[in-house]
Amino acid sequence: MNEIIGIIIAAIIAWINFVLIDTYFGLPEVPGVKGAGIIGRDIEKRGGNLSGGFFQGNILCSPDASAGTLLAPIGVMLLGVNGGILAAFLIYIGNRLCADPGYAGTIGALTATVWVVLLSFIGITPETFIVGMVIAITTIQGINHSWSSKLLGKIAQKMGKETNIN
Amino acid sequence: MIIHVNEMYLLINYLISVIISMGIAICLGLPLVPEKPRRFSWTKSAVFPTPIIAFGLLALCYSAEFYWIYNGLALAIITGVVSSFFMKYLFNYVFPEPSVGDINE
Repeated sequence: MNEIIGIIIAAIIAWINFVLIDTYFGLPEVPGVKGAGIIGRDIEKRGGNLSGGFFQGNILCSPDASAGTLLAPIGVMLLGVNGGILAAFLIYIGNRLCADPGYAGTIGALTATVWVVLLSFIGITPETFIVGMVIAITTIQGINHSWSSKLLGKIAQKMGKETNIN
Repeated sequence: MIIHVNEMYLLINYLISVIISMGIAICLGLPLVPEKPRRFSWTKSAVFPTPIIAFGLLALCYSAEFYWIYNGLALAIITGVVSSFFMKYLFNYVFPEPSVGDINE
């Protein structure tokens, strides 16, 4: 497959994978740690959405599905399917060390491993998936925080996971 | 290609490890699922995180290319048993649960 098309497909799948899993597991609802709360409030002050801000703060402060979606293809690239599963295990340990129950990160890593394996059948390599994931996380954390937090807030609202904190 | 025939056996071993760990965890008195709301629950249960520990340990062995006997099946059974006992008796010592005040301050 053409590399550029592969990267675009991988970026879209990685984006959907980590945003939906993180939102489902309640990242926009409460800041897991103090740092996530501070980031959320700061993004809200700069014209963003508080739920989206908490989401961004949470993925920055502990290894959630975003870290899982990045580390799983790295594991698969290095060690095959075993590496993806090992990545999920290590992310779970990382989550517990960050005082996080670990549902989002672990399940995100496992689903990302499944995606990498499935995409390998149409010629998308784990390396391509890593590039796609880096692009996906850049659209959330690296371009415009207020714009991306509003988008994340809308997705959280649609899934009924908006924050009740004012 | 990532999956070869040999790796299909490994995937079956992972499944066996998960089933054994969940079965023994239930026998040891752990609940099947965490209480609601599940996404914020710290309760250790048979569904989460017992299988994560089981296939994590198994993946660690397979990644080091240590398969021992029966194409890794014996290891799958051992990790399943070890992880369920670890969850029941050692988990809280290794990964202590943070107090509520620490989480939502």
